[in-house]
Amino acid sequence: MKITFPHMGNMYVPIKVLLDTVGIKYVIPPLNTKETIELGVINSPEFACLPFKAILGDLVYGLKNGADFILFGGGSGQCRFGYYGDLLSEIIKNLNYDVKFVCLETTNITINGVLKKISPLTKDKSAFGLVKAILFAVKTVFLVDKLNRIAAYTRCREIKKGETDKIISKFHSKVQKHYGYSEIKSIIKSTKKQLRAISVDRKLKPLKIGIVGEIYIASHPSTNFEIEQKLGNMGVEVHNHLGISKWIFNHFIRNNLPIKKKDKFLSAGREFVNTDDIGGHGIQTVGASIFCARKKYDGVIQIYPFTCMPEIIAQSILSEVQKKYNIPIMTLIVDELTGEEGYKTRLEAFVDMLEMRKSKAYNQLYIDI
Amino acid sequence: MVTIGIPNGLFYYEYSSMWKEFFEKLGLHVLISQDTNKRTMDTGVKYCNNETCLPVKIFHGHVASLKDKADYIFIPRYHSTSKDEYTCPQICGLPDMTAANLGCKHKILEAKINMDVHPEETKESLIEMAKTLKIRPSKVIEAFYEVYDKYLQSKTEENITDLKRVDVNKGKLLLLGHPYMIYDNYLSMRLIEKLKKRNIEVFTPKDFTHEIKRKNAYPFQGKKFWNIGFELLGSAFTSVKDKKVKGIIYLSPFACGLDAFIMEFIELRIKAKCRNVPMLKLTVDEHTGEGGFDTRLEAFIDMIGV
Repeated sequence: MKITFPHMGNMYVPIKVLLDTVGIKYVIPPLNTKETIELGVINSPEFACLPFKAILGDLVYGLKNGADFILFGGGSGQCRFGYYGDLLSEIIKNLNYDVKFVCLETTNITINGVLKKISPLTKDKSAFGLVKAILFAVKTVFLVDKLNRIAAYTRCREIKKGETDKIISKFHSKVQKHYGYSEIKSIIKSTKKQLRAISVDRKLKPLKIGIVGEIYIASHPSTNFEIEQKLGNMGVEVHNHLGISKWIFNHFIRNNLPIKKKDKFLSAGREFVNTDDIGGHGIQTVGASIFCARKKYDGVIQIYPFTCMPEIIAQSILSEVQKKYNIPIMTLIVDELTGEEGYKTRLEAFVDMLEMRKSKAYNQLYIDI
Repeated sequence: MVTIGIPNGLFYYEYSSMWKEFFEKLGLHVLISQDTNKRTMDTGVKYCNNETCLPVKIFHGHVASLKDKADYIFIPRYHSTSKDEYTCPQICGLPDMTAANLGCKHKILEAKINMDVHPEETKESLIEMAKTLKIRPSKVIEAFYEVYDKYLQSKTEENITDLKRVDVNKGKLLLLGHPYMIYDNYLSMRLIEKLKKRNIEVFTPKDFTHEIKRKNAYPFQGKKFWNIGFELLGSAFTSVKDKKVKGIIYLSPFACGLDAFIMEFIELRIKAKCRNVPMLKLTVDEHTGEGGFDTRLEAFIDMIGV
């Protein structure tokens, strides 16, 4: 049995730790989606959203390279994400690969049901090993997330430009070559040390931009054209409100806690949306934008894949947020045909505008006119 | 007398009689916007952002036409229509979206329909509505359940057309799409009328019973899915069993997220399991010209020879 899985930001690091610890063989698709997206696009419906195409591309790449087991979550509700599993399995079945596609029902999850479904993978593994592996993986999620946050801090403040990016890209190539929790942990540790050693201008007060929108696109650098890196290198401090660790925390840890506490973005978004769920992260997008405005960020960028339905609603509502809270919000929509240069130009223009808005000279000029 | 405006779009095609009766029972005057026309579409397009799908844009046009005439505009929030059946996110967020785009939040009345997880939300929203309208809440709730039960009954008692009812000489076609696409004469460019003129018997999802659609909705039997998904998957897989059905026409608005998935399910299944029924996908948006639309339709009909 050889398993394959799709990428989503840095998610592959914890998954690698998990599979290494349990001792399951796997195929990791290339981290750069541009290499696999073609496989996804030719096999997907035209108006499927980009995450679907990217995920299908990764899976087909895995199957082409010898994988024969896929584990995916199915769900429910309004957003198409809930039905990804069903459609992926139908499409892959039609491609005639010899593969076992297991779709976990996340709506009424039972531990026994899950164990039974993944039994072909785990039949000769000990339960203790499994639990250990899951704990290691969860720990890695938070470690990698921390790394990202440090990088976001140093990138916009570093004196010698490009240092952070170099360290991060070295980190990714190292992780792919190493094996097991202890090795990966030590790589994370050394990377952290290197990041902390970068000489930065601590007095600098950079522009602050929040990123909101669809979670897959916002957290997967090769589908959002490395938006965090691009902005960081323009000297902007980026706060991405859609980390994977947060998602895992919300879905697996908070849901199992006895005390139910409402998501702060959700309750903030309720100001404009009179319901708790419009599918996907639509309300959270609105809520996070309000949060950014309250925290006096300089601007917000909403990013989502073409045809994403919850974000379209959010986009309409964001124009209200913009007026009421006086914060500039730009929307970027990406699909597999988006050109990088046009995208970069828009980012630069937005950052320029925010800089002008911030500087007092501009305010003075504004009054004079 | 208080006037309630009901926009003639989206949910209206399925639930028109229910909501009209509801407000009339409460002794209010009901104003329904005109059928879709060019002006409705143009105003709608003006108010919405680009990514919104065409039916929602047109819905905005309907709301805009009612904005000055009615005291309140009624927009229900369909979250899930019955057990395991969900709706499109854009329909679920419709009241918020229209309020933001048209800037008429104070005028919008909403009723939440969330039958799968939170059926109690309906009552809560009805009480709120009663407060705004200054009517006794119990009266509103009573009126709602009366019309709702009537609606459910009509759904099961529908005089379902038998696939075999039609005379043998006529060719049969299945027309798929959201009700607000295929029954809107402006959006669908009188597609049903055009097909009937050519002496073709047209079937739509309305012609099959609810149970049979749920039973045949591969691969979602017994699972959660979109309500429209059950309708379309079910009617597609039911009708292809009939050899007389010569083809399927799927009418979809540009960039519809639901149709992208549902269409793929139908196509994959038909190719793999059933006889190869030809399928025409017609996509429309605000720039579609009727000439090109007709040409594609004619070519398809000539090809399948009905």
